Amino acid sequence: MATITRLCRRILPRAQSTWVPGRDFSAEAAQAAENPAPPAPLIRESPDRVKWDYRGQRQAIPLGQWAPKIAVDAYVAPNVVLAGQVVVWDGASVWPGAVLRGDLNKISVGFCSNVQERCVVHAAWSSPTGLPAETLIERFVTIGAYSLLRSCTIEPECIIGQHSILMEGSLVETHSILEAGSVVPPGRRIPSGELWAGNPAKFVRALTHEETLEIPKLAVAINDLSRSYCSEFLPYSTAYLEVEKLKKSLGISI
Amino acid sequence: MGTMGRAFYAVGFWIRETGQALDRLGSRLQGNYLFQEQLSRHRTLMNLFEKAPSVAKNAFVAPNASLTGEVYVGPSSSIWYGCVVRGDVNSVSIGSGTNIQDNSLIHVAKSNIAGKVLPIHIGDNVTVGHSAVLHSCTVEDEAFIGMGATLLDGVVVEKHAMVAAGALVRQNTRIPSGEIWGGNPAKFLRNLKDDEIAFISQSATNYANLAEAHAAENAKDFDKSELEKVLQKKFTGQDGEYDLKAGVVG
Repeated sequence: MATITRLCRRILPRAQSTWVPGRDFSAEAAQAAENPAPPAPLIRESPDRVKWDYRGQRQAIPLGQWAPKIAVDAYVAPNVVLAGQVVVWDGASVWPGAVLRGDLNKISVGFCSNVQERCVVHAAWSSPTGLPAETLIERFVTIGAYSLLRSCTIEPECIIGQHSILMEGSLVETHSILEAGSVVPPGRRIPSGELWAGNPAKFVRALTHEETLEIPKLAVAINDLSRSYCSEFLPYSTAYLEVEKLKKSLGISI
Repeated sequence: MGTMGRAFYAVGFWIRETGQALDRLGSRLQGNYLFQEQLSRHRTLMNLFEKAPSVAKNAFVAPNASLTGEVYVGPSSSIWYGCVVRGDVNSVSIGSGTNIQDNSLIHVAKSNIAGKVLPIHIGDNVTVGHSAVLHSCTVEDEAFIGMGATLLDGVVVEKHAMVAAGALVRQNTRIPSGEIWGGNPAKFLRNLKDDEIAFISQSATNYANLAEAHAAENAKDFDKSELEKVLQKKFTGQDGEYDLKAGVVG
């Protein structure tokens, strides 16, 4: 089936080959007949655009003279993209799928903090509060999975719940917890020692002293977990061996 | 290469082969068969049978983004890191000067409860924020989708409208021009001021410029990026942070 399709693709001109028989009966065709969609723009595929690059995505992307700095014992997953002015301090961990884009302003992940899976940390040019718009994540902070942080400051020993959104200029003071799914509007301050939740984030209750003591323990526990991930990786990868094999097989000179 | 040189090269080769064989032996002992895995097989632009993405030449597509199927990307647009744009079931067309920021997902439905399946049309100069989820919706020119927003089937965001961060816009909602909608479920919040409307088009331009810098950096091949690393180490002065780390005070 695949071979036939490939042959058809070569024989038929491009525009025709996108016609799929049986379309006339589908709901989409009826829909299209009612309100015809604007014709798809004619963009010719550029022949020199690479469709497959064996190198994949680079982890640390320097922009100009700003290069991401990763501490020696920080764990940054291979899936992560650090671009521009990003500093990952000692004991911190950045988990798979995260994107830390320090292209407009600085991003700093503090000691023993962790940015969990699929987070996007970005820094805007300027913050509505007028303060420096860098994203500063201080020590012992846990940023839950799938969060979005933009130009915010997170003081030491906080927990940001999963899927939370912190907008420009927000400040999360020390020893506070943001529940999962909370959205902090721009310029909002979460006071010290409190639990906030919701969209937009509202005060829920104050934290007990025991809960406050648990916060850095969570960060340290995740740091321990990142040690085990780190030990899976050798100091240097042997991916270059694969590259050599590939180049040899393709006849490209090394 | 003289005979001595050839001899050294051969010995080097034997040592490397032995080393690799030892590496594979060690992996087998660990029960780790990763050495059989090939390189990164991630395909940034992936076609499905005859449907292939059509990307303008000066658009920036991050290497770990995934464009699959029938996707049209206009000139000066940018698809940032970790995005997934799936035109497998229906078509996705992204206009010019538009930016789809990191970790977003643009997908088209095959069928939905209402029975109407719409292709996605994203107009020119649109800003789609980080981690947005766009599912079978239409976004007209110069609109702004806040980060983390979720737009469900059949949503139409008109020109100069804004969807606030974290909003969940339910099916078939029409967001009129010049308004901000937000919350879960998305409701009308307030009207956009004139300078905010101007900001939308400004942000699209800013992102287009940023995309050029990222595109240039990602397109660098291995030798160039290694050379730059060496140059950086040599010529960049040690900044204040280094002094702090080294314990130099004052």
